[in-house]
Amino acid sequence: METVLEVRGARHDYGATKALDGVDLDVGAGECVALLGPNGAGKTTLVNQIVGLLPHHGESVRVGGGDPRIAATRRQLGVVQQSLGFPTTLKVSELVTGAAVRAGKPRSAAGPVMAELDLTDLAGRRAVKLSGGQKQRLQLAMALVGDPRLLVLDEPTAGLDVPARKRFWQILAERRERGVGVLLTTHLIEESSAVADRVVVLDRGRVVAQGTPDELVARLPDRTVIARTGLALEQLQALPGVVSLRTDGDHVHLGTRTPEALLRVLLVQDPGLTGLRVEGAGLEEAVAGLIERGAA
Amino acid sequence: MTRQVFGVEVADELRGIVREPAALFFSVVMPVAFFALFVSLFGKFSAGGLSAGTQMIATFGAFGVISVVLMNPGLGVAADRERGWLRAKQVSSVPIGVTLAAKVVAALPYAAGVLVAMTATAALTGALNAPALALLRLGVVLVIGSLPFALVSLAIGFQVKAGAGAAILNAIMIPTSVVSGLWMPLDIMPPFFRDIAAFLPNHHLSELARAQLNGGPVLTHVLVLLAFAGVAAVAAGVSYRHARS
Repeated sequence: METVLEVRGARHDYGATKALDGVDLDVGAGECVALLGPNGAGKTTLVNQIVGLLPHHGESVRVGGGDPRIAATRRQLGVVQQSLGFPTTLKVSELVTGAAVRAGKPRSAAGPVMAELDLTDLAGRRAVKLSGGQKQRLQLAMALVGDPRLLVLDEPTAGLDVPARKRFWQILAERRERGVGVLLTTHLIEESSAVADRVVVLDRGRVVAQGTPDELVARLPDRTVIARTGLALEQLQALPGVVSLRTDGDHVHLGTRTPEALLRVLLVQDPGLTGLRVEGAGLEEAVAGLIERGAA
Repeated sequence: MTRQVFGVEVADELRGIVREPAALFFSVVMPVAFFALFVSLFGKFSAGGLSAGTQMIATFGAFGVISVVLMNPGLGVAADRERGWLRAKQVSSVPIGVTLAAKVVAALPYAAGVLVAMTATAALTGALNAPALALLRLGVVLVIGSLPFALVSLAIGFQVKAGAGAAILNAIMIPTSVVSGLWMPLDIMPPFFRDIAAFLPNHHLSELARAQLNGGPVLTHVLVLLAFAGVAAVAAGVSYRHARS
């Protein structure tokens, strides 16, 4: 598989703080790689090096074989930001056409991409008047109109409803089939589990784990105890063997390596417990566990 | 290719100004309104063979073009930075210099418009007595000479929010313009104004413009403006490299 993004030993310091400490990362043509990690893990710094906003040392970052600090290399890049505010005065068609020209394509390249992303009917509308989902589709259109080899997506579906998310990933799947590589950073770990071929877990500037979502989950013997409980989150966190905790509606998800011991205590502390089930850990629990262990 | 991209960038900027002209409205209307007031009061007085109204095209004209190029590119950059649009431009394949140059170039027609409006006002009040060629030279000098002020505008736009930028730029522009004699002749101001004005590019720009009318010396003014352009370019470059996200 051809490599569209190659990162070798990427480093970056903010004063005495090592934001990146020798990160290696590859994205192949048509591949979707999710970059996960807690706040401060170095994701944003790494992405900023990849898109050319931050300097990198030597040849440590290559996009399509070129240095992303050079403007011409960035023609191979499409970027979707988490929260982009469009100029208040520009219309959808002007933005997509402008993106096409900036990427070295003819103005006529805008039409098919707008049609692909269901933006044709919105062509004459000012971008700031669009809904959240429409704005994300517009950003994607602007990223795709230059036929990039690598798409860098930063929380691309944040704030989108489920149908809009589905549509977003459908469009990307079609592009991936045509060889576009995708680097995704997101806090929606379960979503990345569904769409990513590989997951790279970053913590304190280093890659602590990488593999397919299934491989990462399989590396942990953890189980998830799921239940509806009246116990407070602080009480749940204090239960023996709890390594991670999250809520999902009225259910809590408790990650543990000792589910039997946890269940004994949990049932004693909350006899009214309902909806109890025990599952293998999901990717979210796996990532939390791998970060906690600093797994290599 | 770069020409096409530059065209798109300038077109986007012009659309922004035309569709939401409020910001530029004040930087265009205020100098012209001031000029109209002063030229109607004092325009027909004569000094050195030229009417005061004609000479005011150089001084108020300098204030007008500085007002346009100082206020607009920087505030545009600040607004783009706040909404993440500048980042989108930085990660595109367009060199950032093209984007910034487009912001400056898009403001220039409005700077020229200020000068045309002032010239027309002077003519309408019967206070204009300079040949067209001299007026044309004056216009070219003012528009080109205002470019270093755009660099100052950008330097500030990379560092502060648009609201704060407007306040800072006004705090720079108005006092320096008054002290430089752009509103009232330095002859009627306290002597120390003249000492300060010698160090201000606003003053040298207006004097260079006035030299197009009265044939006065230009070298000192050109050198000061070139030095100012160099300092402003360095400031804009440093500010960009340390731009706030």
